[in-house]
Amino acid sequence: MVKTWLVKRSPLRILENALQGGLGKGNLAVLASRKGIGKTACLVHIALDRLFQDRPIIHVSYASRVDYIITWYEDIFKEIMKNRDAKAAAEIHDDLIRNRVIMNFKQDAARTDRVLQSIEAMITAGKFAADTIIVDGYDFGAGTPEDLRKFREFGLKLGLELWFSASLRGEAPVLDEKGFPLVLRPFLDEISVLITMDSRNDLVRLSLIKNKDAPAPGELPLKLDPRTLLIAE
Amino acid sequence: MKPDIMNMRNIGISAHIDSGKTTLTERILFYCKKIHKMHEVKGKDGVGATMDSMELERERGITISSASTNVDWFDHSINIIDTPGHVDFTIEVERALRVLDGAILVLCSVGGVQSQTITVDRQLRRYNVPVLAFVNKLDRVGANPIKVKNQLAESLNHNAVLMQLPIGLEDSLRGLVDLVRMKALYFDGPDGERIRVEDIPAEMFDEARARREEMLDAVSMFSDELMEAVLENRVTEDLIKAAVRRGTIDRKLIPVFMGSAYKNKGIQPLLDAVVDYLPNPAEVENVAHDIEEVGKEVKLAADPGAPCVALAFKLEDSVYGQLTYIRIYQGSVRKGTELYNTRTSKSFRVGRLIRMHADKMDDIDEASCGDIVVLFGIECASGDTFTDPGLNLTMTSIYVPEPVISLALTPADSKSSNSMAKALNRFTKEDPTFRSFVDPESKETIIKGMGELHLDVYIERMRREYKAAVQTGKPQVAYRETIGEPADFDYTHKKQTGGAGQFGKVVGRIEPLAGGNFEFVNSIKGGKIPREFIPSCEKGFRHALEKGPLIGFPITGIKVTLVDGQSHDVDSSDIAFQAAAREAFKQAYHRAKPFVLEPIMKVSVEGPAEFLGSVFGSLNQRRGVIVSSVEDGQFARVDAEVPLSEMFGYSTVLRTLTQGKAEFTMEFLKYGRAPAHVAEALKAEYEDKKKN
Repeated sequence: MVKTWLVKRSPLRILENALQGGLGKGNLAVLASRKGIGKTACLVHIALDRLFQDRPIIHVSYASRVDYIITWYEDIFKEIMKNRDAKAAAEIHDDLIRNRVIMNFKQDAARTDRVLQSIEAMITAGKFAADTIIVDGYDFGAGTPEDLRKFREFGLKLGLELWFSASLRGEAPVLDEKGFPLVLRPFLDEISVLITMDSRNDLVRLSLIKNKDAPAPGELPLKLDPRTLLIAE
Repeated sequence: MKPDIMNMRNIGISAHIDSGKTTLTERILFYCKKIHKMHEVKGKDGVGATMDSMELERERGITISSASTNVDWFDHSINIIDTPGHVDFTIEVERALRVLDGAILVLCSVGGVQSQTITVDRQLRRYNVPVLAFVNKLDRVGANPIKVKNQLAESLNHNAVLMQLPIGLEDSLRGLVDLVRMKALYFDGPDGERIRVEDIPAEMFDEARARREEMLDAVSMFSDELMEAVLENRVTEDLIKAAVRRGTIDRKLIPVFMGSAYKNKGIQPLLDAVVDYLPNPAEVENVAHDIEEVGKEVKLAADPGAPCVALAFKLEDSVYGQLTYIRIYQGSVRKGTELYNTRTSKSFRVGRLIRMHADKMDDIDEASCGDIVVLFGIECASGDTFTDPGLNLTMTSIYVPEPVISLALTPADSKSSNSMAKALNRFTKEDPTFRSFVDPESKETIIKGMGELHLDVYIERMRREYKAAVQTGKPQVAYRETIGEPADFDYTHKKQTGGAGQFGKVVGRIEPLAGGNFEFVNSIKGGKIPREFIPSCEKGFRHALEKGPLIGFPITGIKVTLVDGQSHDVDSSDIAFQAAAREAFKQAYHRAKPFVLEPIMKVSVEGPAEFLGSVFGSLNQRRGVIVSSVEDGQFARVDAEVPLSEMFGYSTVLRTLTQGKAEFTMEFLKYGRAPAHVAEALKAEYEDKKKN
């Protein structure tokens, strides 16, 4: 009950509508912004939205330690469950731990093939029927389009949605005249959906820059609340 | 001679099982001139390292009991408490940690931070023990101390700082660079006992300078004086040492030392570091609890003249009788004086007072606060507090986890039966996580502990040391029952069988209690149940919790509120109200959606990444929830939550699946709801047992 309500009322439905029903299996989305804007918070909110729908997710992290990631989930979950029945919250919490696996890799030590092998082992040998993979902390500056192609093809093969974050570094401008992040230019063929986040007047705005084959609407009626770190209308 | 408290150190050596801890301890004893010949843990000479005093430990190559030994390093007196490495014996580790003021965390330079290191590190954190890291086995193929230092930072979130660099590695390991003195150290002589100090080899100088800068950057955070000195380029050894000491004692810094205990390299500088950077007993604040006033803490003074407070942290059997290892926190203990055991409220006279070295002992007349010494033939249990008569204090009770596994023991004959009883009496005194009792129904002797290996070791010891031939039953998981919803009760107990009758009526409700076993609330107004019978009601409810109606295991997580009742002037009694409460509970229990709880273990599997698929599969088959997997190049660690009942025999399975290349550790995490099919099977089993 509580879960259905949480899913129905989630501001992420606005994003889903903008994407004509969601990202879709075999597609790869990238959330790009400068460091510290709130990419991880957004990814975790998206992951929790899947978990509320009882859809298992694998959270792949290239940067943070496992306990940091768990803390992110705990914090965002607490924020979403604020003012709600503690018993219901505890039950939902148990479910989401069962449906979430965190896999941590070092990008310099683990090649993409190795990473995909491990994820596949989790899904097949571990019988963990994930349909969404969150990939946080992947360094696009050090990666190749070939790597990303392998991820996309892997998603297609196993019927997965893939959500990446991309950190935009260096001096301004980090975006080109059309709003595409410069660092992602070589990867655009592999990316179905591209969302950028920028902070103006203390508000973090989300813009849909690439929307599969459909025209991209640009700025979305969504923001990231800097206080709760939740995506909100 | 009695050491001055400023010159005392109480340290432990904590480590992963194969990191070479016992060899390191052995070398420390050697350099401190306590032993004259060195042995290896699994030595060919059949003697075994001196600290491993038990035969079984020798055979398995592991150290189980934490013997304490005293050594002198120049003018300092160091007590070394040898802590066990296996996670099933964590109570021993935790008890040892309670009496330590500092620890050496030993890491293998090849294996680095492993799951057990993480467990040990968490324990060190819990007791706020300042730590030095020692990266051992630099002579091994694949040794990489820099990687290990980085792991300390990344995996354990420590502010780890290199204090040394290796000169050569693996089989070309020659010596160490001391980054404080900026000198090269070589360990000459057949046992590395002669230290030769030279200039840093030219080809290493740039690296050494860069690492020293790194170290000064990190260390100067703890001393303004050093920071200024760095800016003004007038850094001295003493300034660095003072800053490292500050950071280490505050647990904000872990200085990293290195060497090869096996090749006799790097041990003497490590001993210097113990003296330079770990606290003396007076620098550590210790508190005791007032027994008469619950919640009141009493700060203990590191003053030899103050009234004595000491903790018995370890018991050992010896040919001369029971040895009791004590740590003195306040005051002094003198031969011939009287001490008071605050648990048993009994006094005793201190007979012999001993300073211990692994298997040899020195008689002393007096020991004072900060020291660790041994008493002879004292009747006590480990964890007891001894004070001067007149004080009624207890040291913080050591956190004791509840046992999660049990099995039945049957002695083969009456001689074995006696020896078994003797052994159990001894083990349960030594180890509070190991318990034994006789099941009133089956009349079997049941032992309980923290895991399969934990019980195995005691059964082995029973056979070897006590010559008790015992047969063991199937290991049994400690299930629990609890309720899912509140339910009301309204029960009248009435009995009229001639003579005095029995009458008691109780009304109230039971409800789930999060984070507790049992809570009893009396909200009766107006004396409907006379005050003297309220404890009878509580007793009745407690009794009902001992054996749940579903599967016969204890019930936990229950709050009982008594709101109304009735009594009879003549027929009401203690017994009547106990019976009323017991029956009332049963009445409400079945309506409160009861269910079965099972112990869930936190399991960490480590091994080469190529076996991840098999590991995932094996955990999934065991109803495990995989929480995370971490891959670092070739190695992977998988953390999962798995029901204990599924973990029997897992070590064999894992060995087969991974060609013996993976290992696992587990510890109790929580109780979780058992799935319906498991609960149903347990219920059927219980019903069967009741019929027979």
